[in-house]
Amino acid sequence: MIHVYGVVDELGELPAIHGVEDAPLRRRRVGELELVVSEVAGDAEVTQDAVLRHAQVVEELMACSSAVLPAQFGRPFGGDDELTAAVAAKSTELARGLSRVRGCVEFGLRAVGLVATPVVHDSSGTGYMRARLEDERRREQLVSAVHEPLARLSRATAPASASAGGVFECVYLVPVADVEAFRDAVSRVEPASPELTLVCTGPWPPYSFGTSGEDTA
Amino acid sequence: MSPPEQHALQQQVTLLELVDRVLNKGVVLSGDIVLSVADVDLVYVGLRVLLSSVASIEGERRAPELGSALP
Repeated sequence: MIHVYGVVDELGELPAIHGVEDAPLRRRRVGELELVVSEVAGDAEVTQDAVLRHAQVVEELMACSSAVLPAQFGRPFGGDDELTAAVAAKSTELARGLSRVRGCVEFGLRAVGLVATPVVHDSSGTGYMRARLEDERRREQLVSAVHEPLARLSRATAPASASAGGVFECVYLVPVADVEAFRDAVSRVEPASPELTLVCTGPWPPYSFGTSGEDTA
Repeated sequence: MSPPEQHALQQQVTLLELVDRVLNKGVVLSGDIVLSVADVDLVYVGLRVLLSSVASIEGERRAPELGSALP
């Protein structure tokens, strides 16, 4: 069985680490695309060790190639033919994804605290609706104050989810050259939005931009 | 929150975010991606609980620099 770590571009040497189940990494070419894989005994068991090893391999690949499109940790392929068919079927999409993430990492942001203010339901239905609308606008402005400065520094964002449940989540695809500027921007927007608690993590390999993402340019 | 507690929380958030990325993001190459593992659900439960607890910490405001050995 074959476990896939990701699609790579201009990979130098393979990283000097082993993959899931401590198996050696191997390169596999399918048409114009190159993948990094390793053999696994059966259906790769989803243990914390396996997940962390997958993640470690992807990070190491980031250091020795010009672009990495991380693969989702999924059920392994039965053999070369199955892998080749699956990759060939998505080759255009994968090539586009590689091009999108080249030179970039991603940051994740969660903003907590977008709680709706209780609106007093008086006798005026119009007044009630207006108050609801104003509260909705207030929450949208809170999100914009955090999101827009960060989106401006990003090549793409995904998925800018709605503020359901009082949480705004977004992932930002940031050029490596702008990582410090992005961190600075996070540290500036946080004190500017005291109503919100921000949790920002990264930089990560661009896991969230393989096949989607909204370009900000 | 004391610095060791804050550090532990950051580690937890980092691990949860990492596991979420590896299992739920990334390009889907196989058409058969379903993972029949109870732990996957626990990741989400854990994350929701964590976010609730973070939200409830009044006066604690953080934008931790977490993550990896990447730049």
